[in-house]
Amino acid sequence: MSAVPPVDAGAETNDALKGPAAGFGLAAVIAILFNTALAWAENVDEPLNAYMASLSGDPWRTHGFAAVAVFIVLGYFFTSRGFRIDGSRLAALLVAASIVAGGGLALWLVLI
Amino acid sequence: MNDVILHAHPTFGVLGILASVWVFVEALNASEANRSRVRVAAFVVTACMLIAWALGGYGYTVLYAPEKAIILAGPWPWAHNFVMETKARLFFIPLILALYLPIAATANIARSRGARIVVMAAAALIVLNGLAIEGAGAVVDYAVSAGFVHNGITGAQ
Repeated sequence: MSAVPPVDAGAETNDALKGPAAGFGLAAVIAILFNTALAWAENVDEPLNAYMASLSGDPWRTHGFAAVAVFIVLGYFFTSRGFRIDGSRLAALLVAASIVAGGGLALWLVLI
Repeated sequence: MNDVILHAHPTFGVLGILASVWVFVEALNASEANRSRVRVAAFVVTACMLIAWALGGYGYTVLYAPEKAIILAGPWPWAHNFVMETKARLFFIPLILALYLPIAATANIARSRGARIVVMAAAALIVLNGLAIEGAGAVVDYAVSAGFVHNGITGAQ
């Protein structure tokens, strides 16, 4: 008689993400964009490039450590603040950030 | 030893790509039965990318200068100015995603559609970026060979 199917206990429950999966997800989006912004800055600002080289011996090395540090620090920050986001929205942000950051890197290096 | 390092770098990159495909397929078929397998695969991705970073970093900052000079003196200077410079910085995108993947995989992807989509998106982006970077590496390698030929240098193989 009932037209409503029974709820499957093992079925997916929702789209929302919380905890480290959400906090570090947003941090990854920001770190990916930061990576490209830092590459741009290094190319136009020679003192910055020299300063980054002085920190680790090579600007590329410092660049990598900085990108990873941004990811880790922001990840802990957003997680501690109880950040929540829809998984599909976070996935879209990750894809968009990767396209913008990757395309931005390539376009920048073509233009300079 | 330097040759081993230079060849191990793309090898671990490829292993990271393959492990990302593994994560993607496990997530696509997510269930309570494969929860731990997804997490193991995600950690394999992270390990491979960290090793590729360390090896590639050594190659780029310590060993690459003579090859760079040969490329710039050869017929394909853009292989350094554009391809290598883009590749070296593009690598940090899949690296960050590889660091994130095991964190995302801590969520129950069998029950959460959102977590499953995020894990699949991160894994797919690692694969696509990784393939682009591997291709860029091949272009750089070929540009070195072309530079040798162009400059009449023999025996460098």
